[in-house]
Amino acid sequence: MTDLALAIAQADFPLPMPGATLYHYLLVSALMFAIGVIGFVSRRNLIIMFLCTELMFQAAGIALIAFSRFHLNHTGETFVIFVLTVAAAEAALALALVVLLFRRKETLDASSWAELKG
Amino acid sequence: MRSGRKARAAGFDRRLPHVGNSLRSARSPDLSEFFNPVLLYGGCALGALGIALALPRRGVSPQVLGAIVAAIGLGAMFLGLGVATPDGARPRVMFYIFAVIALGASLRVISHPRPVYAALYFILTILASSGLYLLLSAEFMAFALIIVYAGAILITYLFVIMLATETPVESELEALAEYDRYSREPIAATVAGFILIAALSTLLARGVGELPPPRAGSPDVARIADLPGKVERILRDSETITGSQRIVRDAEGKPAIDLSEGTALVAAPGGEPHAVRLPGDLVLTNTEGVGFSLLVDHPGSIEIAGVILLMAMLGAVVLARKKVELDERARARQLAAQRAAAEGVSL
Repeated sequence: MTDLALAIAQADFPLPMPGATLYHYLLVSALMFAIGVIGFVSRRNLIIMFLCTELMFQAAGIALIAFSRFHLNHTGETFVIFVLTVAAAEAALALALVVLLFRRKETLDASSWAELKG
Repeated sequence: MRSGRKARAAGFDRRLPHVGNSLRSARSPDLSEFFNPVLLYGGCALGALGIALALPRRGVSPQVLGAIVAAIGLGAMFLGLGVATPDGARPRVMFYIFAVIALGASLRVISHPRPVYAALYFILTILASSGLYLLLSAEFMAFALIIVYAGAILITYLFVIMLATETPVESELEALAEYDRYSREPIAATVAGFILIAALSTLLARGVGELPPPRAGSPDVARIADLPGKVERILRDSETITGSQRIVRDAEGKPAIDLSEGTALVAAPGGEPHAVRLPGDLVLTNTEGVGFSLLVDHPGSIEIAGVILLMAMLGAVVLARKKVELDERARARQLAAQRAAAEGVSL
């Protein structure tokens, strides 16, 4: 780790973090989650829809790390490791599915699979 | 309602008599008093308008204008928090820099018509959020995030984007697929998303104010007692003990480190044990803390994570081996392309 990164990371640590600052981080997380939701609902490309789910995972990670820092314990960080695991598994499966669907219809349009519903 | 919350906060202060004055001033403020509802909800509406404008759509899509409006709106949301913040409760400048990069790049992920660029902007989001992790003193997760996400997952995405693109016709290399050019119901989606934001930020403002005040002190310092190797290394570096001396272990293998006294028993091989004073600044690094939390507190979850990864790998292999048949329309398109190519040759 570089000295700069260490200096950024260790400033104010292990002093407790004020609740107002926690609120700033949670707001970033909520905004990123909402952007992910908007993208998932409105974009039509399957790959971008999965990128939007990754955005939502990322937002959850920021909230977990912020709470972990607020309470000064490491459980939140540990759960981000599991979020990463699930994201990796999801990416592998979802992308395999996307390739399969693309080979069948030669399009990535989500609405071209509308007859799957029901 | 508000007076009840204050009474509860005062109750916390009474229950923690050892907490000093400096800490009491840093206790969570009543957030409903410090956030400005006009700026927060006004910024919310402005941000929604900007994102709706920035999404690709039929007809004119003023993406730059949309991005600017969204930036002003989201900026107003954060300003609404900063204006009345109690002293010392404002995050550092770096926070604003990383937050702007992360949110701007994630807006670009959902608004860029080309999937490759969307994936690259997602990498930028990852880098900025690992900056936020660093500000939150989570060094290990910050670097693990870059390695796993930007290094592995996003490369998979880029590969799939390359595999799953239609072969471009030579005359229109720059053309985008129809489904990339227009988004579906951008306005309804944005309105729904920002109703979510308004509700979430209101609930957060209430809930964060009611959290118990944070406690001072390094997390899990007591676990230093389980790290005899680290303590030995530090003592050796400060030349308190010589190279052959080791920390004594009792019959159960537990190292003789007494953190409340600040001493440890050391002995050379075959020699008499004696106590040495531990240096005062023994801290558990972030990586050690995460390691303890992962392996001591959540061993079952690691097993489950391993099973999930194995299942995902098996599933991906099974899916990829499957032979796919083209459906009628795609087959007709392929036949037409082959026929056109054959005619081109015969001409």
